[in-house]
Amino acid sequence: MGPLYKLGWFDFAYSLQVAGLIGFLSGFVFERAGFGNVRKLTAIFYLRDFSVLKVMFTSIVVCMLGLLYFSVFGWIDLGRVYLLPTYIWPQIVGGLVLGIGFVMGGYCPTTSIVATVSGKLDGLIFIIGMMLGSVIFAELFPFLEGFYSAGNMGAIRVSDVLKLNSGIVALLICLMAVGAYWFVERVEDKFGDKAALPGGSRRIKWSAATFLILLGLILAIVNPDHIIAKRPSPRIQPQKKVEQVQKPAVKSEEPASSGFKIVDDEGC
Amino acid sequence: MNHRYANPYVMGVLLGLVMLFSFYTMGRGVGSSASFARIATAGVNLVAPGHVANNKYLSKYTRGGKSPLMAWLVFLSLGAGLGGLFSAFIANRIEGEVARGPSIGVSARLWLALGGGILSGFAARLARGCTSGQALTGASELAFGSWIFMFSIFAGAYATAYFFRKEWL
Repeated sequence: MGPLYKLGWFDFAYSLQVAGLIGFLSGFVFERAGFGNVRKLTAIFYLRDFSVLKVMFTSIVVCMLGLLYFSVFGWIDLGRVYLLPTYIWPQIVGGLVLGIGFVMGGYCPTTSIVATVSGKLDGLIFIIGMMLGSVIFAELFPFLEGFYSAGNMGAIRVSDVLKLNSGIVALLICLMAVGAYWFVERVEDKFGDKAALPGGSRRIKWSAATFLILLGLILAIVNPDHIIAKRPSPRIQPQKKVEQVQKPAVKSEEPASSGFKIVDDEGC
Repeated sequence: MNHRYANPYVMGVLLGLVMLFSFYTMGRGVGSSASFARIATAGVNLVAPGHVANNKYLSKYTRGGKSPLMAWLVFLSLGAGLGGLFSAFIANRIEGEVARGPSIGVSARLWLALGGGILSGFAARLARGCTSGQALTGASELAFGSWIFMFSIFAGAYATAYFFRKEWL
């Protein structure tokens, strides 16, 4: 049962090697997809090439389904997975500013690494800019502190906000993803350069979309929240409600890990 | 240069599996912007250690007397660099240049890259993560704020794309 690290399968030093492996694989995938090429990245904002959206949405859907299925099968304890907390106002403003930074600089943090190693000087300058931006944020932190924690909603999930079980939310996200793929491909047909865009047979795409929606549909029927709530958890005290089982990522830290605290842990 | 890239859907599936592997082994997702904040902290720490210790935000990276570089995400970013390098190498895509659209000069492009980097670095700290660590990771675990964050990125970028069209088109 996962997550392995939180259950004490290996120590901090080994986790850094795992980080290197995960980083290697993701950097490899990013470069394969063309994310070291700044004009391919920014083409999404001029409706010419939606690779960024396709890769993002597909990876989110695959990982989301994986997490939910793993938890239904009892392979992973979502209560021990670090759930990013919601601070709604800084996230909205941060997102808007990051979007402006994206279209101005051409990269987001990870893609600038990939661009830099492919020899792009602008990628390196972007990285230097990010370091400066981080330090500027830290210097201004006394003024930003209040806003930084504004709109604290805790570790809350979309399913909690919509008051739906996570299986139904997963199905809705699958449907949204398929709808988005269909829509952006129509837009690409209109504005994109056909020779440069990757092809792919219509039949395979529709079969994959059907399979995706089917996977979401099964989850919606199975209701993962219900199954997880019913399962007697060995370490977390029983009789906890669903919402609480999902939250203790912070609390359940102490017994499981070997001295590693998640307090200063951030998503990115 | 080789501009033939892999199918984005296939790459999306692979990236999703890598993220799932990260969740399964580590109980957390991928990310990268904090590693730049940490490297910057290490730099400031070298020049003015007292300044880092007195800064409320930067000091969290040196808590417990540890080096700010001994962190999971720093190693992840190093790995990402190696993985990207390997992929670019086998695809014959390594070429020293300043990537830009045909109607912008080198120095203007570099200034905009610097400006975009500063905005991104600042925004990623404010939002507690970037496109990978906040949007991808959070969205796949259904974190509410991460979905809002992701839509905000697209909103901010599409709203201002018009002003930067000369840089790319």
